[in-house]
Amino acid sequence: MEIKDRKINDITVVGFAGSIDSLTAQQISAHMDGLIAGGASKIVADFSQVDYTSSAGLRVVLLAAKAARGNGGDLFLAGVQKQVEKVLSLTGFTSIIKLFPDVDSAISNF
Amino acid sequence: MNINGKRTALVIGSGGIKCAAAIGMWEVLRNEIEVDSIIGCSGGSVYGALIAQGADIEYMMEGSKAIWTSEIMEGYTTNLRAARNGSMKFDERSGLVDDQYLNMALENVASDLTFDQTKIPLKLVATDLADGEKVILSEGRVKDAVRASLAIPMIFPPWEVDGRLLIDGGVSDPLPVDVAIQDGADIIIAMGFTLSYRNRLRSMAAVQEQMNSIYMNNILKATYAFYNLAHHAEIFLIMPEFEQNLSLFDVDRIPEIIEKGAEATREVLPHIKRLLSEMAS
Repeated sequence: MEIKDRKINDITVVGFAGSIDSLTAQQISAHMDGLIAGGASKIVADFSQVDYTSSAGLRVVLLAAKAARGNGGDLFLAGVQKQVEKVLSLTGFTSIIKLFPDVDSAISNF
Repeated sequence: MNINGKRTALVIGSGGIKCAAAIGMWEVLRNEIEVDSIIGCSGGSVYGALIAQGADIEYMMEGSKAIWTSEIMEGYTTNLRAARNGSMKFDERSGLVDDQYLNMALENVASDLTFDQTKIPLKLVATDLADGEKVILSEGRVKDAVRASLAIPMIFPPWEVDGRLLIDGGVSDPLPVDVAIQDGADIIIAMGFTLSYRNRLRSMAAVQEQMNSIYMNNILKATYAFYNLAHHAEIFLIMPEFEQNLSLFDVDRIPEIIEKGAEATREVLPHIKRLLSEMAS
């Protein structure tokens, strides 16, 4: 799993590349915990390079969103691929986490 | 493959004829993954039972054609009319169709097979008509459990097992991933289906069917969301997509349904295999 951060004003954009499952969940979880502990609250998770997410991946995303909201911000998902969106939709994530077609539109919604 | 003591369960949810997609799923998985247990619900119970007993693909296809025919709806229109005008007495044991044909068709699925005879441990899910409770069936005749699990409310008469009057498992838990979680499965491969919505609603029966689809799809979403968050390990969801709506009796489209099941499984398989091989290393 490749993870790259960039900062746009007070918004942290985290780009993921690969599959999110129990093998990579711990890495993502540690990364997100670090960001939030460092004060990040407005986070855009760029999923355009994520080809799959399993239940373990979903749990990590939810925990990160809860922590970001606890910090007074939010976590938005951007560029979610169709296969991943199907899982997000069935698990009800699309009703509790906002999805945007790309990073720019996610940023403009903060 | 049972890796480092990790257990893999296969769950096949409710979805009527769409559940024939499980044949395609099994075609793809059978030589790649070792499955330790199978859980089936409603239409998925038919395929859970077939896979658990080691039926070959050809036999599963023939069994599908025998079940999903318009003959299983024998008497529906006449009885619906009679139930509406009060000339048909309707109670908790009634259904709008004569279930003789369905019961005969199920002979091809399980005959006298009992749960302790299956090659892969099997559990099937039904619902108690008296209190709506989910009932997990894992003892006795598999055919009785499939029949109970398939009993679409109002359509098929409920089926009595151990003194409980049981109906369709999909009413309480359309994709019973929780049964696999309870049994200690680590990797859960779940094939689920949403019910199609009608484009036009021109009769009371059509509106009723639409309402059922809405209820069932929302139960599926709510329960699956909870199970995803509750499970300690992995759930891989396989959800075949169908371009056109399917009726319960689209027997001619069974090859297409099977292919959609295989296609959806091929998409997820590399992720399952990657996880298993990482666990093994």
